[in-house]
Amino acid sequence: MDYILYILIMMSLYAILATSFNLLIGYGGLFALSHAAFYAFGAYATAILTTQLGWPFPLPMIAGIAFSAGVGALVALPALRVSGVYLVIVTLALQIIVVQVLNNGGTLTGGTDGITGVPALGIGSLVLDSPGAFLPVAAAFAAVCFWVAYRLAHSPFGRSLRAMRENESAAQAAGKNLVYMKLVVFAFAAGLAAVAGSLFAHYFQYVGPQSFTIEETIYILAMVIIGGTGNLWGSVAGAFLLVILPELLNFLALPSEVADKARLLIYGLLLIVILRFRPQGLFGEKASTGHVLAGEDQAVEPGVTLATLQDDAATVVGRALHKSFGGVVAVADFDIELHSGRVTGLIGPNGAGKTTAFNMLTGFLKPDRGTIEFNGRDVTGLKPHRIVHEGMARSFQDLRLFRRMTVLENVLVSLPRQSGDRVWAVYLRPGLIRREERDNIARAMGVLQFVGLADKANELAEDLSYAEEKLLVIARLLATGAEVLLFDEPLSGLDPNTLQALLPTIRKLAEHGKTVCIIEHNLDVIKGVCDVVFFLDEGHAMAVGTPEELMSDPELAARYFK
Amino acid sequence: MDLLLQLLVNGFINGCHYALLGVGFGLIFATTQVVHFAYGPIYALTAYIAWYTATALGAPLWLAVLIAAAAAAVIGPVTYLGVYRPFQRRQSSDLVILIASLGLLIVIENLIGILFGAGSRVIEGVNFSVFLWGPVVFTGVHVWQVASLAVIGGALFLFLRYTRFGKAILAMTDNPEMARIVGIDTRRVSIAVFAIGSAVAAAPAVLVLLKDSATPHMGFHAVFMAFVAVVIGGIGSLRGAVLGGMLLGLAEGVGLWGIPTEWQSSIAFIVLFVVILLRPQGLLGQRT
Repeated sequence: MDYILYILIMMSLYAILATSFNLLIGYGGLFALSHAAFYAFGAYATAILTTQLGWPFPLPMIAGIAFSAGVGALVALPALRVSGVYLVIVTLALQIIVVQVLNNGGTLTGGTDGITGVPALGIGSLVLDSPGAFLPVAAAFAAVCFWVAYRLAHSPFGRSLRAMRENESAAQAAGKNLVYMKLVVFAFAAGLAAVAGSLFAHYFQYVGPQSFTIEETIYILAMVIIGGTGNLWGSVAGAFLLVILPELLNFLALPSEVADKARLLIYGLLLIVILRFRPQGLFGEKASTGHVLAGEDQAVEPGVTLATLQDDAATVVGRALHKSFGGVVAVADFDIELHSGRVTGLIGPNGAGKTTAFNMLTGFLKPDRGTIEFNGRDVTGLKPHRIVHEGMARSFQDLRLFRRMTVLENVLVSLPRQSGDRVWAVYLRPGLIRREERDNIARAMGVLQFVGLADKANELAEDLSYAEEKLLVIARLLATGAEVLLFDEPLSGLDPNTLQALLPTIRKLAEHGKTVCIIEHNLDVIKGVCDVVFFLDEGHAMAVGTPEELMSDPELAARYFK
Repeated sequence: MDLLLQLLVNGFINGCHYALLGVGFGLIFATTQVVHFAYGPIYALTAYIAWYTATALGAPLWLAVLIAAAAAAVIGPVTYLGVYRPFQRRQSSDLVILIASLGLLIVIENLIGILFGAGSRVIEGVNFSVFLWGPVVFTGVHVWQVASLAVIGGALFLFLRYTRFGKAILAMTDNPEMARIVGIDTRRVSIAVFAIGSAVAAAPAVLVLLKDSATPHMGFHAVFMAFVAVVIGGIGSLRGAVLGGMLLGLAEGVGLWGIPTEWQSSIAFIVLFVVILLRPQGLLGQRT
């Protein structure tokens, strides 16, 4: 009986570990292999504070959560700079250092012997020193941790996390603050893992460094992968499966040292097999929010807010912008003005610096020299998401859709001023977020209707045709509600019919008072929509004028229009 | 001063060891983009195979080394064809392949434990001469560790630089897409790279077996140091891997001057953090 209780308790602990790890890797796409270290922080904090300072429950647990979350936030710092294999190696190193600190920590950590004599969990005179008494507590903590993780994952914040996972720069272009999101998700994942660690210490009444090695991190990773990344129920299932499965080996009469290795061998194999034949895991990822039924009668508002036509002052002014990459000048002394109610075109040969100019205007690149003013405010050097908040947004030539999210989610992520992007609101203002979410879905559907993608709302972005992908890029940009819209080749590669259908859309944006700027190669498009055209070559603005003026210039005609 | 000199020599010897590990790992990584964590347990398995042929089968040491290297040259490509390639064909992300290689690491490591037991294995009765060089002491194994880097690293360099096949490998390292377009059989090159990279690690594996012993867990530390050496040196640069490994060895060695032994392996991480912070593309890497 105690054996079964033991298994159930281990399931509870690993459910906490796997769900919290899933937040990090499945939702955030942050591949940090240091989860067992966060687990260790919780366990050692409880062991040290109870045995050496005699703190009563739940203070050691809270201290462990705080410490672990703090370190987690610190680990987020390298994650701001590096990604992919670099993040893997840095966090792997952290994991190994933590175990080394535990091993060499002298009397504080008990060295390789660990710390014995951790008191059983107890509140006042009630001491839960039997597995039967401990199980309900462990299960309750698992349930609470699951709720915390689930709430976060299925909020607008969780949706933004997945957008960041899919494409960081596109998430920034949708106005998301990557620094904030990474700090929060690391702190949450680490803090939750510490809860499991604290329970571990109380249950075994012992902690030792061998429980928190890199193998443990890989074990938890296997649970997340087998259960399915981006699905928290999957992580619970993965934890249950990997706790039970090895125990079944006990029914084979293997010598104990072989059984232990066979257990690890099996989960290693299972991990490879699942990745190979069911890469989405047992439970695939589901769209977390905003699932609407196609054909449902939505109260549709026009997707684009209409502003009154402003006077002719320039909304965006770039002065003497300069950018070079390792000696290669991309943009030199470039002046640009964008006016509301006008469509401004940027044309020129490949490598002329058009996209670099966009990157500077929208904060993705810091200009070496020069200033950018937006409605009279200096926005030079602001972070991309801040510039989006100011009201200037851009699209990317290579689309950068959030591919494993639905069409509707792609648009929802881009909507401005969502309370659900702030963590405190996720937990403290659920009603507000629910109301906003209802409105936002209606707004997003409005935008989709505007570009003609409403019937694809629930499809994954990766399943769209190329033309539909381009439409989604436009929808996502419109959804930002920005006053200034910068399109990087929005129409290239579209068939003539779609193109003819979209041209008036872009004109209409300008007529409604938006400031529109567009990079384009197709001269028909330029003649069709642009009021003013900047011709760039080798980083300079060679000519500025109406499309007709530029096309009748004999020099430009020879060099570019042919 | 004498102590510092000794630490420098020790560091240099360990640096050669890490450098060779880094070259094998880095060659595979640069050419196929696979973060081959199973490189570690295969390295360990190689040591066990050498131990088995030398003790249980009674083969002479030089033959044991050759058999171990040949076995590694087979096992490496088997992991590529059996595990990594199916993922690459399906265009799985690099991280998926990385997770699969972590799974493979666990599988091979525990397979070793089941086959050979958890204890350490040594070859008895091999004695190396001790050299005294002023105040500095080192042994024949140390000389071999340095020589193996010079010989194997040098041979690999000549092979990559001056043979047709070697140039094909470098081309693929440079740009796999372009290599395919110009007609390089990338599958064959990948298989070859896994064979060469794994066989390269046989020398350090056997030398560690002779110097200390073989243990089932020796692989993780090895692949980790190789990985760190490659990242420090710059992904895609084999000279970088040598430089990175050397730097790790020297930093660990000289670090002992002021840091207690039990913290020695933390020194590598400090080097790693500093490099990633100041020069994320690695010492000899190109900024992308």
